[in-house]
Amino acid sequence: MNGSMAKSTIAKNSIRKRYFTKSLSQYLFVIPAALFVLLFMVYPIVYNIIVSFQDLTLMNLRQGGSFIGLQNYIEIVQTEKFVIALKNTIIYTFSCIFFQVIIGYLLAVFLNQDFPFRNFFRSIMLLAWMTPLVITGTLFKWLFDVDYGVINYLLTSLHLIDNPINWLGQESTALAAVIITNTWVGIPFNMILILAAMQALPSDVYEAAKVDGASKLQTFSNVTMPLLRPALLIILVLGIIYTFKVFDIILIMTGGGPVNATQVLPFYGYELAFVNFNFGASGAVATIILVILLCIALVYLMMIRKEEAE
Amino acid sequence: MRKYSIKQYMLLVMAIIITMIFLFPIYWMIVTSVKPIQDVFATPPMIIPETIQFDAYVKNLIEDRSLFPYIRNSLIVALGTALLTLVLAIPCAYALARFKLKWGNILLLVLLVTQMIPGIMMAMPLYILFSKIGLLNSYLALIVGNTTSALPFAIVIMRPFFLSIPKGLEEAAVIDGCNRFTAFFRIILPLTKPVVLTVSTFSFLFAWGDLIFALTLATDEKIRPLTMGLTKFIGQYGTQWDNLMAVSTIAAAPILIAFLFLQKYIVSGITAGAEK
Repeated sequence: MNGSMAKSTIAKNSIRKRYFTKSLSQYLFVIPAALFVLLFMVYPIVYNIIVSFQDLTLMNLRQGGSFIGLQNYIEIVQTEKFVIALKNTIIYTFSCIFFQVIIGYLLAVFLNQDFPFRNFFRSIMLLAWMTPLVITGTLFKWLFDVDYGVINYLLTSLHLIDNPINWLGQESTALAAVIITNTWVGIPFNMILILAAMQALPSDVYEAAKVDGASKLQTFSNVTMPLLRPALLIILVLGIIYTFKVFDIILIMTGGGPVNATQVLPFYGYELAFVNFNFGASGAVATIILVILLCIALVYLMMIRKEEAE
Repeated sequence: MRKYSIKQYMLLVMAIIITMIFLFPIYWMIVTSVKPIQDVFATPPMIIPETIQFDAYVKNLIEDRSLFPYIRNSLIVALGTALLTLVLAIPCAYALARFKLKWGNILLLVLLVTQMIPGIMMAMPLYILFSKIGLLNSYLALIVGNTTSALPFAIVIMRPFFLSIPKGLEEAAVIDGCNRFTAFFRIILPLTKPVVLTVSTFSFLFAWGDLIFALTLATDEKIRPLTMGLTKFIGQYGTQWDNLMAVSTIAAAPILIAFLFLQKYIVSGITAGAEK
């Protein structure tokens, strides 16, 4: 009896070994995806970097551009458009994330309470996030309309403004309008993620805090915040990376205008490639974005490494 | 039925009010599309429509059929993207979860790095690559382009799913005479239904809403998807908001439908995608 069991364990172990150890057939599972990633995702990134050191335009696309060192970078960084685009991208990213996370957090706190149909309310808000940005952009253009837009109507009837604002038509308000639009898009996404993090929190620490007589504010700053920090950090980093890549909303709502007021880096890179056909310069913009976002990701990795070490 | 307290019903009322305010833009899109044009431009804006009519839909779906080719193209591209993403991601995520592959972690890292570049900046190299191999202006070009944005997401949310399946399943299958591939196809694949639904819903919706690849990789009107059709209507209709909102509502319909039936899978997909 014992002998046969031992035998079957040995047989099982050898099967397990055979199944899970390295062999060529295991790689067959990964090869299609790996090839796809290499060809259509890694190659474009490498291509962008290589081209950023070349004078590649529509003229010499067939024979390939020649190496010109850092000239693309030097020329681009000196243009006024680049400086404005960089500044706008940073303002846009941080204001969107700021409002999205705060409003998303408040909604998550609200929806974390127990009431009828709460799961329905949690998910229905995601409609804002899931609607294609082309549609959202068009829709908010209508909401921001000078003469017939609901937003101007609301603000004037609340006496917050005297005259309707030409939101998308003037330099001073266009970026704010685009930020408001994207904040609306991102709120439910942040809400769902923060809510998921909250539900993963242990409930016993809250009971302990209650027993110890902690006030709501004390519980928030001494219990909730430290526990939520790792989750909030990854939500912030993901949010920054996704928001930095803004394109659709700009194309639909403003086209970068009026007079560069809503010009952002990805849109600028698009214009360089598909309007001016200056592929080298566009590659330089792409590489700059890549470096900026990689730096943000590295800072994040260093932060969690430091926390884990502590 | 559970019993709720008065306070909980008050919270419900608050939730309804908050949701109504938050989703007002979507309501406004639909309402604008069913108003007569003079009501669309009424001051003050008519929040609750007095007359409802479907002229804009009749005009854009029945009288003028120019929307249909765009819808067809969007369907082809979105379904193709969902299919290609699944075919590539399922075996890959399975192998990354199950086997200790030499390059496994590097592949995951590469997927992460590819997220650091905007889709529109991926479009330029793909445009040049496709124009060299003659793929420009084809459904395949759009499907490949969209798969580049859907694939990392798919692998990232599928890998933990496979990690959660007990290893004993394959062992039992192997004892019964399966090899690595038959074990995967017969035993594992049937278990993946929920995560497959999540991934296919997302990749479909990603591709359905894509503007970047539609704008850059498809210059031929014949294969352009609905998002590009929409930008054409924006130019053509200018400020005819009733028509524009009708076309927008039609374009948003698959999202509303997907939402009604696949809500559970959408929520689980978002939360799984943000885990490390």
